Amino acid sequence: MSKVVKVLTQGIGEHNLRDIEVFRKQGGYAQYERALRELGAADVLDIVKKSGLRGRGGAGFPTGMKWSFLPNDGRPRYMVCNCDEAEPGTFKDHMLLLETPHQVLEGILLGAYGIGSHHAFIYIRGELKAGYEVMRAAVEQARAAGLIGKNLFGTGYDLEFTIHRGAGAYICGEETALLNSLEGKRGEPRLKPPFPAIAGLYAQPTVVNNVETLAYIPYILKNGPEWFAQVGPERSPGYKVVSISGHVRKPGNYEVPLGVTIRELLEEAGGLREGRTFMAVQPGGGSSACLFEEHLDLSYDFDTMANAGTMLGSAAMVFFDDTTDFVQAALSLVRFFAHESCGQCTPCREGGHWLEQMLERLVHAQGVAGDVDMLLAISGQMTGRNLCPLGDSVEPFLASVVKRFRDQFLARVKPTLVVVG
Amino acid sequence: MLRNTDQPAASSQFEAIKARLMPDLHAIVARYPQSRSALLTLAHRFQEEEGFVSHEALEVIAQLLDLPLAIVESTVSFYTLFYRKPVGKYMLQVCRNLSCTLNGADAIMAHFRERLGVGHLETTDDGLFSYEEVECLAACDRAPCMQVNLDFAYDLTPEKIDEMLAGIRAGAYEQTGPLAQTLHPSRSWKLGYHEPRSPGAQRVQDPDSPGGLDKTGYAAAPRLQDPAVAERTHERLSKENAPAPPTNGSHH
Repeated sequence: MSKVVKVLTQGIGEHNLRDIEVFRKQGGYAQYERALRELGAADVLDIVKKSGLRGRGGAGFPTGMKWSFLPNDGRPRYMVCNCDEAEPGTFKDHMLLLETPHQVLEGILLGAYGIGSHHAFIYIRGELKAGYEVMRAAVEQARAAGLIGKNLFGTGYDLEFTIHRGAGAYICGEETALLNSLEGKRGEPRLKPPFPAIAGLYAQPTVVNNVETLAYIPYILKNGPEWFAQVGPERSPGYKVVSISGHVRKPGNYEVPLGVTIRELLEEAGGLREGRTFMAVQPGGGSSACLFEEHLDLSYDFDTMANAGTMLGSAAMVFFDDTTDFVQAALSLVRFFAHESCGQCTPCREGGHWLEQMLERLVHAQGVAGDVDMLLAISGQMTGRNLCPLGDSVEPFLASVVKRFRDQFLARVKPTLVVVG
Repeated sequence: MLRNTDQPAASSQFEAIKARLMPDLHAIVARYPQSRSALLTLAHRFQEEEGFVSHEALEVIAQLLDLPLAIVESTVSFYTLFYRKPVGKYMLQVCRNLSCTLNGADAIMAHFRERLGVGHLETTDDGLFSYEEVECLAACDRAPCMQVNLDFAYDLTPEKIDEMLAGIRAGAYEQTGPLAQTLHPSRSWKLGYHEPRSPGAQRVQDPDSPGGLDKTGYAAAPRLQDPAVAERTHERLSKENAPAPPTNGSHH
C-alpha cells in the first residue's frame, strides 16, 4: 500500500494554490491569524519544540532548539528562509515555492512571529526565476490582504518581508554564506562561532530555516505537536518530502512519513526500469554516501541514515541501476563541488580540482597507476579541514563508490610499464 | 578586462538606461535594513536592462551604496549568473550534474556543441546563442533538463533540441512555448508554465517593458545587433576564453 501522504503536497496539481483565495479556502493563513491573535511567540516556540520538527534542509537540526538559542537582549531579530535549493538531486523546495507560495509564506511569517522578529526574508536561488516571480506575486497578495505590514490584525505586531534573489552560487545554501550574500557580499561562509543565532544577519540574532521546515509549521499549529511527533521514529518524527530521481520509472517528489524503508520509496517511484538491477542509492543529496543492496530495508530517517554512515540530508534520493558508470557519476559530483567551492579554504579549493582532473583521466581510461587510492587519500584529507561542510561533502559519495565498485575504477587505469631494478 | 573600451556606443545608451532605472534602484535600496544588501538586486536589475552587468553599472551601484568599486566588482564576479560581458540573446544552460548524467546529459551536451558549433561558455557568431554547462538546476525528475534564459526545458532529446533551436532561429520560440515542457505521465507534480505562464514570463510580451529590450531574460544589449560590433565582441570573447575547438562529443 502506498505510504504517500498529502500535507504540504495537498492540492498540488489540483487547485491553483498561487491564488490567495484558493489557498485560504484550504485553511491557509488561519494559523497565522490565530497565532497572532491568541498565542504568544513563546507558545509558538513551545509547540514547535514539542513537535520534534528537525530541519529539512540537510543538517536535521531540531528547529525549536535553533530558535531557542536566540539571546534575549533586545537586539532586532531576523528570520531568513533558505530557498537556495541546489543540492544535486533535490527539487522539493522548488516545487513548494512554485506550486504553494502562500504555504511557504505562511510558514515564514509564523516562524518570524515565533522568534519575535519584525523582518523576514526569503533567499531564492537565482536560477529559480519562475519561483521568484510566483513568490513576488504571492507577497503582493498577502500584503494587500493585510498579512504583512504594520499592526497586523490589530494586535500591534509589525512584520516586514523582503524577497532576495541569489545569483548562482551553491555555497549560498550554507547559512552563513547565505547571510553574507544577503548582506550584499560574496557568498563565503563565515567562521563559526559565533553562530547566526548570536550574530547572523547584520550581526543580529538570526534564524535561517529551510523552506520545507517552515512550511510544516502551520500544520503543526493546526493539528497540535503530538500529531507530528507521533509519526515515524521517536527522534526523527514527522513527514518529509523526498525527491527521487535517477534510474527510476517515476521520478518525482513523494511526501512520506519518516521511517518508511528505502525499498518502499523505490517502489513508490515505480521501481527501476524494466530488466535492470539495483546497484546503489544516494539517500540524501550529492553530499551523502551511497547505500547498497544490503541497506534497502533500512528505515529512512535522520538517525538510521547517520548510523549507516550516510545521511538523510536534503532527502534527495538518486537510484543507480546496473547501467551506471560510477566513474562518470563520481566525476559529475566531484566536478560540482570543485566548481562550487568558494575558494576560502585550501583543501576544498585545491583538492576538488585535483580530484576532478584525476577522474577526468579515469573517465577517458587514461588513469595513472595509484590514481584510485589517491582519490581516497585526497578526498579524505579534504574532510574536516574547512570552514563549512562543502569540502567535507566530496568524500562520502566518492569513497563509498570507489570502495564498492573499485573494479570499475581500476579498469580505467592505463597499463603502466614498471621498470624493475 | 575592466572596461569595454572598444564599444564607445555604450556610454550614451547607458545614460538613458540609468536615468530610467534610477527611481527603481532607490526603491530597491529602501527595501533592506542596510543598503549594501541591495547589491545583488541592483546588479540583477542592470543585467535585465543591459543584458550583462557593465562596468558603468558597477560604478552606479558603487555610488548608490557608497562602496568602493573594487568591492562591488569582487562581489558581482563571485556569482555565476552575472555576466560581465555581453552574451547571446538566448542563454542556453544545460545541466551536467548527477541525475542528468545518469539520464544521458552527455549526449545532450554533445548534440548542442555540434549543432551550435561552440563550446562551454561561448557565444555563436551571430550573437544569438550562448552555451553553458551548469550544475544541478533542481529539476532532476525531468532529466536531462536545461534552462533557456532561465525558463526550464525538460526531458531533453536531440530531436527536441533541434526543434527548439529551429524555433528560436525562426523567431517562433515563444509561440512553441511549452515545447520541451510536455507533461510527463509519471510526474507527481507539474510546473504550470503551460496555462498561465509564470507572471514573469507574461511580462515578456509587454512592448512597454523598459528599454524595449527582450525581457525573456538576458538579452543582448542593442549594440550587439550591429553585426560589426557583434563580430568584434565575438572575436574578443574567443581570444579571452581561448576556446577549445568544438568537438567530437567529449566535453572538455
